[in-house]
Amino acid sequence: MIEVRNLTKAFPDGTLALNDVNVTIPDGDFVAVIGLSGAGKSTFLRCLNRLVDPTSGSILVGGQDVAPLSGRKLQLYRRTVGFVFQQFNLVTRLSVLDNVLHGRLGYHSTFSGMLGLYTEDDYARARDAIRLVGLSEKEDTRVSSLSGGQQQRVAIARAIAQDPQLMLADEPMASLDPRLSDVILGLLRGYNEEKGVSVLINIHVLEHARRYCKNFLAFNRGRLVASGPIADLTSELETEIYAGSLDAL
Amino acid sequence: MIAAAVFALLGALIAFLSSLAGGSLRRLSIAAALSGLLAVLALPLTPGVGLRSSEAVSATLLGLLPSAPLLALVPIGLGLSLLLSRRGGRVGAIVSGLAGAAALLSLGVWLSRPAQLAELVPVPGIMEGVTGLALFALIQVFTWSAKRTRLAGLIAGVVVGALAVTYLLSPDGQTKFPNAGGYYQLMRPVTPARTSELIGSYNAGLADLNTIRQSIDLPPLKPLKSVTDLAGAGLPQAISDQGYRLLRPQTWDYGGPVLFLMAGLLLASGLLHSRRPDRQERGDWLAGLIIAAGVTLLVPSFSATNFNLSELVKGGPFLRDFLDRSWPPNLAQVNAQNPSANIYPLQEVMSQMALTIEIALVGTFVATLFAVPLSFLAARNLTARSVLMRVSYFVTRAFFNVDRGVDTLILALVFVAAVGLGPFAGVLAMAIHSVADLGKLYSEAIENVDKGPIEALESVGASGTNVLRWAILPQVLPLFTSYTLYRFEINFRVSIVLGFVGAGGIGFFIQGAMAAGNYNQMVIGVIAIVVIVNLIDFLSSDVRRRLV
Repeated sequence: MIEVRNLTKAFPDGTLALNDVNVTIPDGDFVAVIGLSGAGKSTFLRCLNRLVDPTSGSILVGGQDVAPLSGRKLQLYRRTVGFVFQQFNLVTRLSVLDNVLHGRLGYHSTFSGMLGLYTEDDYARARDAIRLVGLSEKEDTRVSSLSGGQQQRVAIARAIAQDPQLMLADEPMASLDPRLSDVILGLLRGYNEEKGVSVLINIHVLEHARRYCKNFLAFNRGRLVASGPIADLTSELETEIYAGSLDAL
Repeated sequence: MIAAAVFALLGALIAFLSSLAGGSLRRLSIAAALSGLLAVLALPLTPGVGLRSSEAVSATLLGLLPSAPLLALVPIGLGLSLLLSRRGGRVGAIVSGLAGAAALLSLGVWLSRPAQLAELVPVPGIMEGVTGLALFALIQVFTWSAKRTRLAGLIAGVVVGALAVTYLLSPDGQTKFPNAGGYYQLMRPVTPARTSELIGSYNAGLADLNTIRQSIDLPPLKPLKSVTDLAGAGLPQAISDQGYRLLRPQTWDYGGPVLFLMAGLLLASGLLHSRRPDRQERGDWLAGLIIAAGVTLLVPSFSATNFNLSELVKGGPFLRDFLDRSWPPNLAQVNAQNPSANIYPLQEVMSQMALTIEIALVGTFVATLFAVPLSFLAARNLTARSVLMRVSYFVTRAFFNVDRGVDTLILALVFVAAVGLGPFAGVLAMAIHSVADLGKLYSEAIENVDKGPIEALESVGASGTNVLRWAILPQVLPLFTSYTLYRFEINFRVSIVLGFVGAGGIGFFIQGAMAAGNYNQMVIGVIAIVVIVNLIDFLSSDVRRRLV
């Protein structure tokens, strides 16, 4: 269970990206995070795995506040959280297997990590994850020669190889052909159902959210303005959440 | 006078061609007037001789004004032309044309004058002021364009300029830069009465002087009637020592050609512009300023480097002789009767070339070993986390900048003195210089990596060192390799030159062959260099293209 209490993030330029956010996410949930661009969705996700340092508030994961963690403790926490990026963030000159093995680096000391001394278990988990995303035949291929959809599947495999307790995905389909969305969402949903791991996904297309997600969190200008079962996301509520979108343009 | 006319016509020709091409005519007028004014202020026009060559001075047009008041037409005309060019149009054009004509006329009159005596009058403060102004202007070039830095730049410029002037005027500055004080000299005319007085006193002392000359077997000197008697020789010491110089308007210094060229250009562009007043553009002032700055920098540089194509023509026969003696190449000389006198220059070139390549290989390799770790310390994006890292960043960067400024050849001379002649001195010099060059390129590659993978590896909980190893290194390694190969190409060429300062290799061979007059052996080395340089450049660029 994740409990977010009074989470606030102010950037050095003064932008209030998150303003006193309170939310509880039960284990095994599949949550769509919706809202306009710049509403704070991305910052919210990045606070959860501490790629962004919150200004104030707490984030309780399994009873432990992860907001003040640093150094080795932060690394140990981060390895339990998978993160899928919009731009995939792969090392494109390396092979698929090498990139997925990066998901295991959190389990290694600096020394064995430097030399790439992965264990048999690491390889087994990485290969399982690659099989799960359907890229077994591309295991030794350089990532740079894969298509965008395949690259995002490699990135998901990297997150899965971490054996995470929580999976975060920051608009994972935004850089892809719309037809590939079902593949990506299907993979994340399948993983969620099989392992019971919570998935939070930033999403732009509400139709996708309705089809795949159980619950939703809606942000507007840094505030959490609505949340609940996805069925409650009525078109009136939609209008409210996306209010001012013309201003934003 | 013929040369002067040629330069004036050349200026007119430039204006005419530019007019045919449809270019802005006001731009030419402004460029000519500005260059002319700068030449009036700063370029020497007429030499003034003393007794010894070290006493020779060269007066600018401004400095000559007391002796030649008619020359004032030049700056007045140029100034008027510049002022009226601001508005542009027909009036400015006509004035420019007239100014050009007036300048040509007054310069022509001055050039036809006979030799005359003038008294040196140093003007203090000019060189000091120009130095201060130059520093001020240099700072403005960097700071003026951005509003944020403009005020700070102005203040810094004034402070630095004033400090420079104060220093040059201080006792310490005057001992360190004795030439700066009174560098700018006016030429005051000498009255006929004073001239004959000087000549008279010289003639009076001539009897004693001739007695001395006779005792050391020198021919006696004749008494002077007027200064024109001196036109071909130096000034007598007695007159020169009192601060007098003999002005010879008919021999000109390099300011002369510039002034005639610009006057001709101004005359022609002004006349053409008055017929086509629409030939003017917005950017004329900036373009004119840039042209004037270019002329004022280039002309003294040509003069300082003794640039003279006729010397090359005179040297032609020597060049031919040189080529005759170097062909055909002497690849090997075998003498059955006297095997101890056998020489094998081609074989020698091969082994010396191998040494040259080996110096470049070792120098580049050692430099790479040190540059890789240093480049991480010199990358801005990796050193932002802590104060200690920031300090190491600035220290490493400073080391790179200083080291890059000291050329391999200079380092080699130092190391030859330290470790003796031989390849090791060359390798050391090359390695030390290349560390900075490579380190800077490497660190820029690190600063430009894609941040995505770094973020991704941080998010899986990898340690900082592992992020470096798996997110950054794979991205920069191909660039590192490419830069290293490129540096090797450069180092190979440097290694050739290192041979000349005693580091061995093909340069050493060529130097030896040349000193011994064995041009037909030296030419083998030259051919080998041409072949190997092209081969290495071709291979290296081919590999680099595949890498990136």
